[in-house]
Order: sequence, then C-alpha cells, then structure tokens
Amino acid sequence: MNWGLLFESYGSVFLNPQVLLMTLLGATGGVLLGAIPGMTATMGVALLIPFSFGMDLIPSIGLLLGIYCGGMYGGSISAILIHAPGTPAAAATLLDGYPMCQQGKAGKALSIAMFSSFCGGIIGALVMTFLSPLIADVAMEFTSAEMLMLAVFGLSVIVAISGQSIAKGLISAFFGMLLCTIGMDPTYSAKRFTYGVKPLYSGLAFIPVLIGLFAVAEIISGVERTINGEEKQEKSDEKIKEVLPDLKTIMSIWPQIISGGLIGTFIGAIPGAGGDIAVFVSYGFNKSFSKYPEKWGTGIPQGVASTESANNGCSGGAMIPLLSLGVPGDAVTAIILGAFIMKGIQPGPTMYRDQLDTVYCVFAALMLANLAMLVVGCAGVRFFAKIVSVEKKILYPIILVISLLGAFSINKNVFDVGVCVIFGIVGWLMNKFEFPLSPILLALILGPMCEQNFVRFMDLNGGNFMAITGHPIAIGFFVVAVGTVLFSIYNQQKINKREAAAKKAAKNID
Amino acid sequence: MKKTQTKAFANLVASVIMLVFEIWAYIQTLSFKIVKKAAVQPATFPQIMCIGMIIFTVILLIQSVFKLMRANPDDPMMEAAASINILKNKGVQAGAFVIVLCLAYAALFEVLGYVLVSAIIAAIIMWLIGKRDVKQILLVSILVPLLMWFVFYKLLTVNIPMGVLQPLRTLVDMI
Repeated sequence: MNWGLLFESYGSVFLNPQVLLMTLLGATGGVLLGAIPGMTATMGVALLIPFSFGMDLIPSIGLLLGIYCGGMYGGSISAILIHAPGTPAAAATLLDGYPMCQQGKAGKALSIAMFSSFCGGIIGALVMTFLSPLIADVAMEFTSAEMLMLAVFGLSVIVAISGQSIAKGLISAFFGMLLCTIGMDPTYSAKRFTYGVKPLYSGLAFIPVLIGLFAVAEIISGVERTINGEEKQEKSDEKIKEVLPDLKTIMSIWPQIISGGLIGTFIGAIPGAGGDIAVFVSYGFNKSFSKYPEKWGTGIPQGVASTESANNGCSGGAMIPLLSLGVPGDAVTAIILGAFIMKGIQPGPTMYRDQLDTVYCVFAALMLANLAMLVVGCAGVRFFAKIVSVEKKILYPIILVISLLGAFSINKNVFDVGVCVIFGIVGWLMNKFEFPLSPILLALILGPMCEQNFVRFMDLNGGNFMAITGHPIAIGFFVVAVGTVLFSIYNQQKINKREAAAKKAAKNID
Repeated sequence: MKKTQTKAFANLVASVIMLVFEIWAYIQTLSFKIVKKAAVQPATFPQIMCIGMIIFTVILLIQSVFKLMRANPDDPMMEAAASINILKNKGVQAGAFVIVLCLAYAALFEVLGYVLVSAIIAAIIMWLIGKRDVKQILLVSILVPLLMWFVFYKLLTVNIPMGVLQPLRTLVDMI
C-alpha cells in the first residue's frame, strides 16, 4: 500500500469542487430515483451516464457512484413509507421498516436506514481499499458449482423469513422459483409456460412483479381496511429532533451494521451477486443470531440496520472485481466499466501497477459518494417522513399511479403493467391466506442464478451431481446453508412456543 | 366459532387450490421440448419446483386436517381467518372493485394514455374510499399524473403513452 499516494489521491478528490458538486448531484438524483418504485440505481446510472461524457474521469465516476450509493439508500424510503421497495436491494428493508412506519416511527426508521447505509457504504469502501486484490482472487475462483451453492445458501435464508409457517414459506419460495422458469429456457431456448404470448418469451420482469406483490397488493388491502373502518392514519406528529439516530439506538444496532456491511461487501464482490441477495442473507444471518428472533419482522431497528448496511456495503464490494480484474460485480458497475473504457482506461490487474493513483481516486470517490448520500439523507429525512402524514385517502391513489408507471418504465411495455396488476391480485390473495411474500422475492432473485449454474454444472460433469464434492468452497456453502435451515427451524419453533405461551397468558388475564 | 371460519380451514382450502395448480403446472412441463443428450432437460428445473411445492402443500394440508380434527381453542390456527366473502364483506367488495379498476387501467393504458387513465382511476378510488372534497380530488388526480409524466418524459427521457392527450406532448416539446 502506497500511503503517500493514497492520501494525495483522497486530497485531490475531496478538495476538488467539481468532484464534490457532481457527487452531491449524483447522490441527490440517486436518492430521488431510488425512492420511486421501479426506478433502480442501474436505471439511474444508465440514464445519467450521457451527462458524464464531457467530464474528466473522476468527476464522472463521482457522479455515477453518487447515483449508485444514493439509489441504494433511496430504495429504502418507499420500502419504509409505502411498503413498496424502490429498488430490489431494498426488498428486505420493508420487513421491519414498514411495521416501524405503522407504529408512527417512520422518521426513526428512515434515520436508521440512512445511518446504516452510510456505515455499510464506508465498510465497503474500506474493505475495497485494503483487501480488493485478495477478495477478487477468492471470488474469481468461483465456478458454476460454487455459484449454484451460493444460490442454495441464499435460498436457505427463506426459512428464516417465512414467519409462523415454514411450509407456507417454502411453498411461496418454490412458487417464486417456478415463476422464474417462465419464458425461454436460458440453455436450450425451449419455450416454457409461454402459450404463444410473446412478451413472456423473455420471462417475467422482476420489478413489475415486485411492485405488484407489495405496492398494488397493499393498496387493495388498504382500500379494504378503509371501507371496513380498520385503517389507521399514521401519526403525523412524530417529532424528528435529530436526523441521525441517537447514541442508544446506535449502540443497539452496531453489530447488525458491521455484519451487514461485511456480508454486503463479500457478496457484492462475487460477480453476478448483488445487493438484492446480500440484504436477505444479512437479514437471515442477523435474525438467526439474535437474542429475540421473534421480534424480527415486527418493526425493530436491527432489522432495518442489517439490510441497509448490507446493500450499501455491496457498492464497495462490487467495485472490487471491477478494479482488480476488469469484471463488473453487478449491472451498475458494468455501466461504470463502460465509463472507464470511454475515458480510455481499462480496469484490471495492470491498473494497480500502471494507474494506482486512479485506483485510489476511485476509492476516495466511493467514500465521498457515501458522505454525499448522508448529507442528502440528513437534509431530506424530515421531508420524507412527512409523506406518511398525508391522508391515506389521497395517498393510496397516488402510490397506485406512481407504482404502475414504475412497472411500465422498466421495459416501456404495457404488458408489464398487466403483470404488475396480476401480481397485485396474487399478493392480495396470499396476504389473505397468510402466505409470506418475501420468499417469492428471494426466489425470483436467486432462481435464474440457481437454474443456470445447475444446468451448467450438470452439463460439465456429465449429469453427475456428486462431482460437487470436488469443490470445497461449494461444500462449505452447502454446509452453512444446511446449518442455517436447521438453526432457523429451531429458532422458529422457539418463537411459535413463546408466542403461544404469551397468548395463553393474555387470555388467562382476560 | 364455526370450523369453516378458522385459519386452519383457510389453509385447507388454500392447499387444495394450490395442489390443483401445482399438478396442472407439472402436467404442462411434460409438453416442453426434449433436448437429446442434454444432462438437464428444459423441463427438469420446473418439475423439481412443482414437486417441491406439492410436497410442502401436502404437508400444509395434513397439518390443517389435524388442526381441524383436534380443534384446540388455544391453537392460533383456530382463530378467525380473514374474510374473502365478496357477497357479505363491503371491504372485500371494494378491494375487488379496485382490482377491476386496475385491470381496466392496464387495458386502457395505451389507448387513453397514462395521464388520463391515471387521473380517472385516482379520482374513482379517492371517491370510493370516502374522499368527498371534489376540488382536492380533481387537483390531486390531475396534477400527480401530469407531474409524474413530466418527470419521466422530460427528465428521465422515458417515453410514456399519452393516448388522446398526445397534443400535450407536442406542446411541451414546442416549449
């Protein structure tokens, strides 16, 4: 590590007004875009990359990283306030964020999300700075066997997020995995469940399904509750004295922030795996090791912290293979790779040898992007929290038309609006029958990765699945997955017993 | 409480419906293309998923039957299930009406355009759930879709169908 050059590069980034301005603009745009359901950080970066054409490399990278980090946090705003994750990476934030909002703690949830996002991002940036060549080496060892078992490990988290009935959670998960198989088979291009409907050939788009299951279903349920007189207007008098969480809260969430940040960084460093996977892994991991797992999902700060630090940790992780090997870790870094190439710079191992100053400037830009996100978040948290005080009778139709527009904007296809509505109905019915929706999300994210690597692995090994025993990392993932499942089942049984005992005690008092 | 109104009975009904769907999905996979010499067929993965669903649905079904047979009043599964009775429950009727509106929205999205169809659906839903301030209804239902269209069209360069309000786009482009 060349410390002198590192400090010099940080100075050149943090003291450059153009870089500061562009990063702040990027973070503002990212937070706003991320907060709109259907507008992902990837979309934001893709939409704004033309504006960076005329800039120097570092200001343009600052702009793009600002959008990336801002978008990751922005997704949590709508997840917490309106039960519709703005980005897939915020899908797990609603598990505890929305219940906190319903308890009149929207401001607290937002400030925890912002603080955790910032800390997660800083952890990611620090790990990237000091361990990037090492982590990239480990992640690049992954073959189809390791990727398959990584997906299996990710899926093992389903048990932890299934709620009271593990059977229902697993039915939801298998249903989600089945949905992933709609469309052309990725290996042999065979049509599956398409019935001649051309838009189905490319499969179901993830975002419209996500918006349908969560936002549209919530609106239908909300209308139903309002008519039945069961709807409660969230309190608008929550006084947000401080935009950052107080010391007591920080002390209670720091283990989740650290573990989430590290999990996010590691998963982000694996090409093809991003924030959407990391949040569920982090949530499941932290819930499993919690002293009171029964409280997870009821609106606790630890739930929000574990997911938000993980998705922002991913931003640093995803930059590791990009800079070290020239391989993007996710869709956003693929676009950032394009920005590097446009400027005549080819990221890869030689970059560490020939352009170490540029590498260090990128590290500094990521650190700055996280700071910019914190500034934008602090400035906006009071405003965002006010959204819940808007009368529900006005809020529901507004959310509906924004959500359906978000579903359309992904592929600019009306078919996706229909898909969104259909999954709104599915989500509403599943809520009625108390089937958990989160396992579907996780399955939709991991399903394609699971199938593609399963097919590739089996083809490479002549259909012999036992060849996986020759891959120690894959076996390691499998063992951890089995351990997670068993531990989660044990935990869930404990939760169910405690809840039953509490209900019995309450009845006896009555 | 009647057994037919409990969560256990709702689970029983849900598992029967799911089983029918899962068996249908499995039968569909049998018609997928067969690739010669392929280690994994295009139908293999969906079939594994269907079998997985069937196994856990059968478990849920058996659990529900046992819970109904035992009828333990302390069991959370013997609590009242959420209503889906469209004939008796006004909330469910309203929910179903919103579903119909959403389906109509998707069908008319291109014909009428985003702004108009959104304004109509927003106004109807506001009225449906008890908002009676006509000025506020009109203001919100017109301004929000217009603002969203402007943000997406002008700032994010996403081309959104305008349908019968196409001249508005021309006007904005001219300005």
